[in-house]
Amino acid sequence: MTRYIMTADLRRCIGCQTCTAACRQTNATPPGVQWRSVLDIESGEFPDVRRSFVPVGCQHCGDPPCMHVCPTTATYQRDDGLVEVDYEKCIGCGYCAVACPYQARHITHRVEFAYGEPMASESARFDARRMSVATKCTFCMDRVDAAKESGLTPGVDPEVTPACVNSCIAGVLAFGDREDPQSNVSQLLDETQHFRMHEELGTDPGFYYIWDKK
Amino acid sequence: MASEVRKVPQYCYQCVAGPDLLTVKVENGVATEVEPNFAAAEVHPGAGKCCVKAYGLIQKTYSPNRLSAPMKRTNPNKGRHEDPGFVPISWDEAFDIIGAKMTEIRSRGPRNAEGYPRAAASFGGGGIPTYYMGTFPAFLSAWGPVDFSFGSGQGVSCTHSEHLYGELWHRAFTVCPDTPSCNYVLSFGANIEASGGVVAAWRHGAARERGMKRIQFEPHLSVTGAASAEWVPIKPKTDAAFLFSLVHVLLHEMPREALDIQFLKHHTGSPYLIGPNGFYLRDPETKKPLLWDLTRRAAVAYDTPGSDPALDGSFTIDALEIGADGQEWQHRGLNCETGFGKLVTRIKAYTPDWAEKTCDIKSGTVRRIAAEYVEYAQVGATVVIDGETLPYRPVSIQFGRTVNNGWGAYECCWARTLLACLIGGLEVPGGTLGTTVRLNRPATTRQASVKINEDGFMYFPMNPTDKEHWKPSPAVRNAHATMVPLSANSPWSTALGPTHFSWMFQKDSPENWPRVTPPDIWFCYRTNPSISFWDTKEIVKRIAEFPFIVAFAYSHDETNHMADVLLPECTDIESTQLIRIGGSKFIEQFWDHEGFALRQPAVKPQGDTKDFTEIATELAVRAGLLEQYNEAINRGATGVSLSSGKYDFALDPKERHDVDTIWDHSCRAASAELTEGRDSDGLDWYKQHGLRTRPISRLSWYLFPEMKKQGIRFEMPFQERLYRVGLELGNRLHERGIKWWDVQLEEYGGLPTVMDFPGIWEKETVRQAGAGALKDYPFWLLTSRSMQYAWGSNVGIQLMDEVADNMRGHKGVVINTQKARELGIEAGDLLEVHSYVGTTQGPAVLSQGIRPDTLLMMGQFDHWATPYAKDMKAPSMNSLIPMSMALTDSTGSSADLVRAGVRKLGAGK
Repeated sequence: MTRYIMTADLRRCIGCQTCTAACRQTNATPPGVQWRSVLDIESGEFPDVRRSFVPVGCQHCGDPPCMHVCPTTATYQRDDGLVEVDYEKCIGCGYCAVACPYQARHITHRVEFAYGEPMASESARFDARRMSVATKCTFCMDRVDAAKESGLTPGVDPEVTPACVNSCIAGVLAFGDREDPQSNVSQLLDETQHFRMHEELGTDPGFYYIWDKK
Repeated sequence: MASEVRKVPQYCYQCVAGPDLLTVKVENGVATEVEPNFAAAEVHPGAGKCCVKAYGLIQKTYSPNRLSAPMKRTNPNKGRHEDPGFVPISWDEAFDIIGAKMTEIRSRGPRNAEGYPRAAASFGGGGIPTYYMGTFPAFLSAWGPVDFSFGSGQGVSCTHSEHLYGELWHRAFTVCPDTPSCNYVLSFGANIEASGGVVAAWRHGAARERGMKRIQFEPHLSVTGAASAEWVPIKPKTDAAFLFSLVHVLLHEMPREALDIQFLKHHTGSPYLIGPNGFYLRDPETKKPLLWDLTRRAAVAYDTPGSDPALDGSFTIDALEIGADGQEWQHRGLNCETGFGKLVTRIKAYTPDWAEKTCDIKSGTVRRIAAEYVEYAQVGATVVIDGETLPYRPVSIQFGRTVNNGWGAYECCWARTLLACLIGGLEVPGGTLGTTVRLNRPATTRQASVKINEDGFMYFPMNPTDKEHWKPSPAVRNAHATMVPLSANSPWSTALGPTHFSWMFQKDSPENWPRVTPPDIWFCYRTNPSISFWDTKEIVKRIAEFPFIVAFAYSHDETNHMADVLLPECTDIESTQLIRIGGSKFIEQFWDHEGFALRQPAVKPQGDTKDFTEIATELAVRAGLLEQYNEAINRGATGVSLSSGKYDFALDPKERHDVDTIWDHSCRAASAELTEGRDSDGLDWYKQHGLRTRPISRLSWYLFPEMKKQGIRFEMPFQERLYRVGLELGNRLHERGIKWWDVQLEEYGGLPTVMDFPGIWEKETVRQAGAGALKDYPFWLLTSRSMQYAWGSNVGIQLMDEVADNMRGHKGVVINTQKARELGIEAGDLLEVHSYVGTTQGPAVLSQGIRPDTLLMMGQFDHWATPYAKDMKAPSMNSLIPMSMALTDSTGSSADLVRAGVRKLGAGK
C-alpha cells in the first residue's frame, strides 16, 4: 500500500509564503483561495513571546470528516491516501467545509480575477467546473498520477512532486510515501520528533509537523 | 486544442539577494507558472529555488495596469495635484521628443553653469535595475558626465555604514556570517530571513536544523527573530552600547588567554604604538609604524621579521609622529602605549551595568552572551579547506538597517569588526565575512582588490582631503567626493554619498556652498523616490522642478507622474539580458561556482513595448553617440568584456546592432571567459540551457589567506587613517568658511565612543517641535523588511499583496498590545501616526512582540498614483521622516527612525 503524506519542519519555516504563491499559480486558484498557506502565530506576553510559522492546508486525513459528511460522495479517498473532490458530483452544500477541522476547504460562488477582467494567464487556466463546488489542496494529484506512467518518485523527482514542496526555499516541506520505510519522509520522521494537528480528533492526518531532532 | 507547453529558463533579480534561477511555463504562448530551475540545483546554494517575488512575474506581465504604449505629458505644470494629461504616442514621436531635447542639451556642454552634469539618472537600490535595463549603461557611459546622486533611498536607507567601513576593514561591502559553518550568530536587526533571499533562507534553515544558535536583538519580533533561538527586545539605536559592553566583558572580565592573542599580535594593528597627538609612532627614517618587540626589547617597524609584538604595556622610545596635513612631531624618550592598550582603557567605562541602563537589557544577559560568544569561537581550532589550514571560528555578528546606518552605525561596525578580531574570527571559516566589493577595484573578486599600504594595512581609495587634491567644487550634487572621503571613487560611490543632499540642497543650499540646480534631463527607472525616500512631500516638490524627465515606466506611479515622456519597456520575461551568477556577491550570495545566466523572452511582449536594449540603441543613435555606445558595450557594459587576450567578439562600433546580436556576442564572450577561450557558445545555447558555470575554490570566500600572503594586518582597533582624513577635511572646510559639517567631523577619531545616540533624534525632535515635544511623540517608529516586497518594485501585484497579508503587519501600524489597551486602541482601529514632519494613517495591529515604546510599519504604501497600490489605504513612515543635517552622520547617512505620536481616529470595522 501507499500513503502519501507531507511533512513540515517548523524549525525551518520563515513564513515567506513562497509555497502559498506557488500553489496559487500552479493550481490556478482565484484571488484569496489558498489551498496552501502559512499561518503567522504569536504566543506569550511581552517580553516572553514566541512567533511561529505553520504551513496549513488539507491534511489528507486517513479518516476524513469531510468525506463522511458529503451527501453526494463527491469527496472520496484514494488508495494512495489522497482525499479528492469530484467536481461533477459536488453540489457545493458546504457540509465538508464545516466538518473540516483544518478549515482547508473553499467554495467560490463568484468569478474573480486579480484585476477585475481576466488576464491572458487567468483565461488560459480558468476552470468553470470549480465554481460553487468545494475545492482544496489535492497534493497536486495530477503530478502524483503522472508518476505511475513515468516511473518517477513523488517527493524526489520535481516533475511529480507537489508545487509547494518544490517551491519551498527553506527546506521545510517534504512529500512521500509513509508506508515505504525507505522513503524520504519515513526516514525524516524516524529521525525527528513530530506531531499532527488535531490528532486527538481521530482524523489520522497525513501532514506531520517536525519540531526537533530525536 | 492542442497544447504546446514549454519551460523557459530565466533569472529573477528583483532583489539584491538574487539572482534566483527559475523557469517560466508557457502554455500555447501564454506564461502561466513560475518554477524553480531544478537543473541549477547542483550549483546553486539555494537548491535552484526562487523566492516568492518571482511568482509575481506572471501577473506583472499581463496586468491591465501596465503601460502599453509610449506616452507624453500634455500639462506643462508639474506636481502631485496636477493631472499630467498623458496621451499615447508612437515610439517615433517619443524618440523625436527625447532626441531633440538631448541634442539641445548636448549643444550646451555636459555641465551646467554651476558645474553639475546636465544629465541625471536614478535607479532603484542595490544595482537591481541594471539587470533589467539591457545596454542602457552603455548609453550612459557614452553620454559623458551623469549625476547619479538623486537617490531613492540608497545611501541613506541601506546598510550604509557597513558598505563604507566594511570595505575599509575587510573588503566587505556587505557582511554576513559564514552560515554554512557558523554555529553562533548575534543578529542586531538583521532580518536575514526576509532580506537574505533564497540562499540565506536555505542556508539558515539548514543551520538551525544542525543546531546553530542565533540571538536576535531588535525592538520588535521580526520574522528573523521568530526563527531565532532567542529574541532580545533592545531599545532602538542602543546596539552600539550593547556591543561595546560585550567588548568590555572580553577585555576586563575574562582572562586575556580567552582571546586570540596571536591573531591580534600578528594580523591586526593592535600592537602599533600611539603618540600623544593620536597618530602612530613611526621610524624616523622609513616612516613605518612602530611596535614593541618583546624579543629585542625595542621598538621596531611593524613588518620586522621575527618580532614578538607586545599587545599592551608602557614603553619609552624615540619616534616620529605624523599628523594631518603633514604636520610632524619628533619625540625623544617618549612614554607610550599600544593601540590595544588604549582600547582597554577606552572600553573600561562600558560595563554591563551601564549597558543595562542604556539598552534595557539585563547585565547578566550581556555577560552570558559574551561568554557564549567566546565559548562558541573555539579559539585555536583550525580547519582544512582545499589543502590549506585556516583558523576556524564559528561565531559571527550581523547587522540590519537602522543599526547599520546613521549615527551610532559607525560604532556598531567598529565594535563588530573588533569583536571578530578579538577571537580571530574575521574572514576565516565559520566567522564574519565580507561578500562583495563595490568601492574597491578591481571588482572581479574581493581578493583581487587587496593591496598593502605603507602602514601595513589594506590600501583604500579615499577621496583626497589634502590641500592640493581636495575637490572643493562638487562634481555631482550630493558632493560625496568632497564631503565623504570613505565613499571612494568607483561607479558606485555617488550612490554611497549623502543622496538626500541632492534633494535638500536644491531647496536650500547651505552656507558657503555652490548653488544646487536641477538637471536638464533626468532618466529614471525602477525607482520611486516620491514614495521610497524620506519627507516624501518635499521630494515630490523637488521632482516637479525638474524641467525634463524621461521615465522608463511599467505603470503610472508617483515619480513618473512628473515625467515628460513615459517609455514602456518589455518586462522581465519578455526581454533579453545576461547576468553574472555565483562567485561572491551581495549578502549570502557566495557560491562554490561562478558563471552566467540568461533572461530571455518567454512570451511575446504585451502591447507596444520594446526591449530595453533596443530603446538604449535608439537613444544612442538619436544622441549621435552610436560609436561610443558600441565601444562601451565592447568594454563590458553588458557585464562581460567582449574581447580579451584569449577571445574577440567585439561589435563593429560604427554599425547599429540588433538586440539578439548584442547579446549573442555577450554570450559568446561569457562562454569564452569561463573556458579560457575554448568555447564560444552564444545566445541560442544560453536560451536552451539558461546558465553556464564553473567550480571555484571555497577559499575565495575568505580574505584571511590573501591578507596573510601579502602580510597585511586588519586595521583594528585604532583608526589613525580616519582620524587624519577627518582633521584634514575639517581644515579644508573651515578654510572655505563651512561650519555646518562640524558635528559630523567629530565622528572621526582614533577610537570611537558611545554617545547618547537615541538622544540625537530626541534633541532634534525638541529642536524642531519645541520643548516638551517628546510627550507628543512618545514612540520610536521603525520599519522591517518584507520578503514579499523588499526591493521588488512589485507593490501593484495582486498576488504579492494577497500572500503578504498572511504575515502580520504589512499594511498596518504594529503596536504593543498592553500599550494599545492603555490608549484605548483595539485591533483594526484606524490610527493616525504623526511626527513633526507629517502624518500617516493605518489600522492598528496589536502584538506582544514589540516594545511598548515602539511602533512598526513594515510596508511604505501610501501611494497615490500607482494603480492597485493607491487603493491599499496603508501607512508609510517615509512621510514622517525628516531629511535633516542634524540627523546625518559623517558618512552622509541617517536611519529609518523617527519619534512619533499616535491617536485613534475611529473604531475598526
